[in-house]
Amino acid sequence: MITQDLVQVFDMLSEPAARMATAPMLALAVGVALYLLCEVIDLLRTARPIVFLGSIALSIFYELRILQADSAPGAVFDGTFIADGQTALWGILFLVGTLLVWAYSVGYYRENLPFKAEYDALILCTPVGMMLMVGANDLIVFFVGLELLSMPLYALAAFRRAKIESVEAGLKYFLLGSFSSALFLYGAALLYANGGTLALDALVAESNLATTGVALVAASLFFKVSVFPFHLWVPDVYQGSPTPITALMATGAKAGAFSFLIVRLTPLLPPAAAQTVAVIALVTMALGNLGALVQRDLKRMLAYSGIAHAGTLLLVVAAGVALGDTSGGEQAAWYYMGAYLFTATGAFGLISLLEADGARFTNLDALRGLAHSRPGIAAALSLFMLSLGGIPATGGFLGKWFVFAELVRADMIGVAVLGALFTVVALGYYLRVIAYLWMEPPPEGAALSNTQRPLTAGLATVFCCLGVLAMGLLPALFLDRMN
Amino acid sequence: MLSALTFLPLVGAIVIVALPGRSVQLLRMVALAVTVAVAAMGVSLFIGFDGTRAAAQNVLETAWFTLPFGASGAREVDVHFFLGVDGVSILLVALTSILMPLVVMSSIGHINHRVKEFLVWLLVMETGMLGVFLSLDVVLFYFFWEVSLVPLYFIVGIWGGDRRLYATIKFFLYTVAGSLVMLVAVIGAIYYLGTSSIPALVESASDLPAETQAWLFGAFALAFAIKVPILPFHTWLADAHTEAPTAGSVLLAAVLLKMGTYGLLRFGVEMFPEAALTYAPVFLALGAIGIVYGAFLAWAQTDLKRLIACSSVSHLGFCVLGLFAMTEAGLRGSVLQMINHGLSTGLLFLLVGMIYERTHTRRLDRFGGIATVMPVFSFFFVFTVLSSAGLPGLNGFVGEYMILAGTFTVSPFWTAISVSGVIFGAVYLLMATRRVLFGPLVHEENRKLLDLGGRELATLIPLVALCVWIGVAPNGFIQKTAGSLDRISHRVERAQEHMRIGRLSTAQQTVLRTEVER
Repeated sequence: MITQDLVQVFDMLSEPAARMATAPMLALAVGVALYLLCEVIDLLRTARPIVFLGSIALSIFYELRILQADSAPGAVFDGTFIADGQTALWGILFLVGTLLVWAYSVGYYRENLPFKAEYDALILCTPVGMMLMVGANDLIVFFVGLELLSMPLYALAAFRRAKIESVEAGLKYFLLGSFSSALFLYGAALLYANGGTLALDALVAESNLATTGVALVAASLFFKVSVFPFHLWVPDVYQGSPTPITALMATGAKAGAFSFLIVRLTPLLPPAAAQTVAVIALVTMALGNLGALVQRDLKRMLAYSGIAHAGTLLLVVAAGVALGDTSGGEQAAWYYMGAYLFTATGAFGLISLLEADGARFTNLDALRGLAHSRPGIAAALSLFMLSLGGIPATGGFLGKWFVFAELVRADMIGVAVLGALFTVVALGYYLRVIAYLWMEPPPEGAALSNTQRPLTAGLATVFCCLGVLAMGLLPALFLDRMN
Repeated sequence: MLSALTFLPLVGAIVIVALPGRSVQLLRMVALAVTVAVAAMGVSLFIGFDGTRAAAQNVLETAWFTLPFGASGAREVDVHFFLGVDGVSILLVALTSILMPLVVMSSIGHINHRVKEFLVWLLVMETGMLGVFLSLDVVLFYFFWEVSLVPLYFIVGIWGGDRRLYATIKFFLYTVAGSLVMLVAVIGAIYYLGTSSIPALVESASDLPAETQAWLFGAFALAFAIKVPILPFHTWLADAHTEAPTAGSVLLAAVLLKMGTYGLLRFGVEMFPEAALTYAPVFLALGAIGIVYGAFLAWAQTDLKRLIACSSVSHLGFCVLGLFAMTEAGLRGSVLQMINHGLSTGLLFLLVGMIYERTHTRRLDRFGGIATVMPVFSFFFVFTVLSSAGLPGLNGFVGEYMILAGTFTVSPFWTAISVSGVIFGAVYLLMATRRVLFGPLVHEENRKLLDLGGRELATLIPLVALCVWIGVAPNGFIQKTAGSLDRISHRVERAQEHMRIGRLSTAQQTVLRTEVER
């Protein structure tokens, strides 16, 4: 039986469309295998970064080929997986995010060097999961993607084994994550019982059974993207995890789940659900922003801010459900998530750089007067804060614009105004970070150790800054690719 | 021309970032050179401006990007990098460009640490302010509108007084709350009308259903009302003005508040005249109450700078009153009064800054008898106070008179209330003058004060000259605005006509329409 199945898979792969659709994921998978091989063979150890970067570059190349192809592969493998321009754009986003997280990881770990190879291999696994998620047109394929993303993240969250917070974060994430996976499976089972199929385009939520099923699947996704009432794990896990991994969870993992939520699941929801989704989104924004307002720890603050941003993005889902048309919502979500990816990765990355200086830098007080000793880091962090707050000339502003534009299109003006006012609360804590950086005097006698910073982290920061500004000032660069 | 005017300060800021921070003199010279060049461009723009034409002049338009709404191709709006100057903005552009070199000069007296950063923010701010007034695309306008908040946030937050953090965050959040509501309206207007160019929006906005016009107007008006500030939203103003360094206070009072009145005129009265007419009574009332309330607020202050800040609430009440009288005289007076307030309140903040640099206090009871030790300063102070109080022959009188004359035909009641504000204005300003300048010199430490120096005189004299010029010969300035403002008052008249027809029965409407068509 198994050999027969394998033969069938290879038959399918020999189709050009299927090959094209899976090439980005295969490039990464081969990369993971080669990377671990290089680790074992002493001669090849120096080739590890080349393998890592090479497989990501190859994967981006294949995604670009799908994006620019005259006829995208579309649905392959009996319609269980879709690869088109849309998924390719998301794929590029995931890959860039992974690359940035890797760049910030270099030099972040001092104590865990022996496991460097496993760490990098696990990071390289995550975009495969994300790509499967966004392309899935079948609940099982999605689930495989979800687990392929989650499993490495459980391990990575607990990667600093010597630190109790890290272990706690890993355990918490693992327990609650398995819980949400169980929810997903239960929902999928109900949907299968209802319709006799797991294919997404055949699922129509019309019976109570199917509605329950869709609700359970949505709840599981809400957990992944940290939406009320499934957001409680976020602050602890984000705070305890190694900071580059926090960045990966906050951006890549969230983008993966959101892309599926918007591209695949939203069309299934009945228009009557729009109100409910909008209320959940607004409550999430309120909880996230108010929670962030009282935090003294930067990572916890960014965790709550991430919850608020998830709420904002959920507004797109509400608008898409109300309109019965997600084409605009997909663009809005991609732009918003793209801007958020550059911004949040950059912000977490800078925090990780400061942590590596030795001080307990995740506390807000440690930022006091940082502009005097580290003007470059202070300037970049301020830019990211303004982008998170959605001030024009940054990508965050246009992301917010597209979200509100969807709401206006769906005639949900009241929701848009409420959402806008929550953003004002958000600026309260983003501005406080800037105030600590630039307007407070530096503490007495706090000479920072002049540690050598890895070049990759500097490059990643510059890249994030450029990304944020390009998305804010030259949106045509990105919008043209979407059509 | 306009893009050079807008972006030269930004280029200057980048140059200053690249220069070493230690050579403070060089940095100041560069900033001064840039702002003087911009001022020269602003003045030549003003001279070359043809006031009889209503349409925007010196227009510059290039494609920027395409905003999608929904699926690709479903509805797309081309956003343009679209700059131009018309009668509504020309005076404000000229005022901004002329003020900046003076602000840079004044900063030499009180900004002594982190000079480099200060000059960078000052120049970035100039780009933001000019951009707001020159944008003819609503997306571009919104860009500049919010971007101009950031420099001021830093200016107040780094170089401000003791409660600077509180003041600067309060200022930012208040303004941003309004702008985010406005953002929804901006998106709405673009989506409903399918264009983002302001002239095109103005032309087509009256086609929208009345309710849509009403909420769009409301959202725009809220943002601008907070910025002006109109009465219930004024609490950020006193804190921000008082805590800001002199340069920041001058820019806040002279230019940033005008963004609010400019917006009310551009996006309230001009774009949605029907909604503006419907809600005009509310704004007239708030304007008139603001005039009196602001005057009382100022009267009660013991801090000289706070007193001037509160007087802004009162003076801007006049601008609001004139705008929402929606008559020709009211509009012209209001636009002129924006400039007048910029000049006289700018001067007052400069003067307060100068005395603060010497005494390090702003409390009224720490002064007294200053006239005997600083006669030149006293001359300028009395002159400015009289200009601010609206003495005939100086600038304030012309604007206030035109506003009151324009409002009288619409609402004699609120005009009468506002006139009493003129009297209270004279009361608190003259009281402050007496307590600062005259009486016995009770505080020994004030005996050794030095009078104004050459740099300070150079800062003050251009503004004083403008005050006299506008006071004696206001026509040259009013004429520049005439073309555009006349078109706005025509639009208002048409809207009035339209609303009158709308109130009639359907049968009468058909009769009227056929008559009009004939």
